[in-house]
Amino acid sequence: MFEQYLSLTHYDIFFFLKAIGMTLWITLVSITIGTLIGIVMGLIRCSKNKIISAIPLIYIEPLRNSPLVTQLFLTYYGLPVVANIVLDAQAAAIITLSLNTGAFFSVLVHSAVKAIPKLQWEAGFALGHNRYSNFKNIIAPQVLRLLIPSAITLYINQLQVSSFVSLISLIDLTKAGHILTLRTMRPFLIYGIVFVLYFAISYPLSKLAQRLEKKVAFNY
Amino acid sequence: MYLNFSFLKTFYPMLLQGARLTLIISAGSLVLGFMLGIIVALMRQSKSRLLRFIGSAWVEFLRNTPFLVQLFFLYFGLPELGIHTDPIITSILALGINSSAPNCEVIRSGLLAVKKGYYECSYALGYNSFQTFRYIVLPVSLRLAFKPLTSNFINLVLTSSVVFSITVNDLMGSSKTVAARTARPFEVFIFIMLAYCVFTFVISFVAKAIDRRISITL
Repeated sequence: MFEQYLSLTHYDIFFFLKAIGMTLWITLVSITIGTLIGIVMGLIRCSKNKIISAIPLIYIEPLRNSPLVTQLFLTYYGLPVVANIVLDAQAAAIITLSLNTGAFFSVLVHSAVKAIPKLQWEAGFALGHNRYSNFKNIIAPQVLRLLIPSAITLYINQLQVSSFVSLISLIDLTKAGHILTLRTMRPFLIYGIVFVLYFAISYPLSKLAQRLEKKVAFNY
Repeated sequence: MYLNFSFLKTFYPMLLQGARLTLIISAGSLVLGFMLGIIVALMRQSKSRLLRFIGSAWVEFLRNTPFLVQLFFLYFGLPELGIHTDPIITSILALGINSSAPNCEVIRSGLLAVKKGYYECSYALGYNSFQTFRYIVLPVSLRLAFKPLTSNFINLVLTSSVVFSITVNDLMGSSKTVAARTARPFEVFIFIMLAYCVFTFVISFVAKAIDRRISITL
């Protein structure tokens, strides 16, 4: 029963480790940049001026409502032809995934700010805060508390979705599994390993998100 | 930098065919995912500890592993088991199974929202437990869960674009061919992006209209 493991060499272990490194690197960089974009866009979205608050929608809606694969192909195959911007696979993946994360994150920020009751703002104004210091000292900490669990859920989702970068020839965990499957012809074993690796990364995070969600729940 | 959309004139039948296949795949996997979602939600509600464990393991597994790996697993794994099917059927299967996890969560929260009074009421009217579920609890909870279910469906349509990687010529797959043949990938993919956008906007518009009619507050 165990002879099937012999078809895997020690080289394959390093191959998998490198692939995990690639997946984690792409995910971490893109969620970091995406979070920054998302915060900026989400705050613009919260502006009182209706026209200004609608501007980020031009960025958010197309990215949220179209498949990530298309976006990846657009940056990887489309940009060199039209704009003469030649990106290597890794840069294209990071750019696309960060923009994608940013779009989703800005919606989270917007809905978290909207979820804070108006009374909190009014109480702040009554205490003599101006709009900026009110936001910074009273609203933002509460927003952060609401935001963290949903942000972790989004990050887990982005980790899953980062497997799509294997379609633009980047060797991440999915692609490594694909290559090894084609070589060893043992899909159950190889994809079993890939499943376990992805699961081991994202399951603890999702448990953390669930626990935080319970902790954060608060009735105003 | 100029954009040239003249490929549409020559290649629109191909893209339309791809769009049709995308529709078929999403519709098939919507039905499958919905059925599986109800079944798994019921398993997670059941009194047996084993069934509850299987249900939650199913959901956690599907939510914490990427769809692409599940798709490849089925595509390469099914023939190993002696099941040789069409890639279209494989992709419907994979998408249905994958979408059963979020559907299960949504349906379960709908089932939990149905108050005890409803059960007591229907028992008092002489319904047995299956009839209670079928005629009272399920309709109410599905109405409650309708809105998140449609957003799951939109997600499903967007995810269905990856099935081109197992040689299905859906909208994305045929657009890839068109991009290769016209050597204008940017225009083709921008067009496909907008097509998906329009598609999801239509779905969410229709869903909102239906939701306004059937939504209830308990």
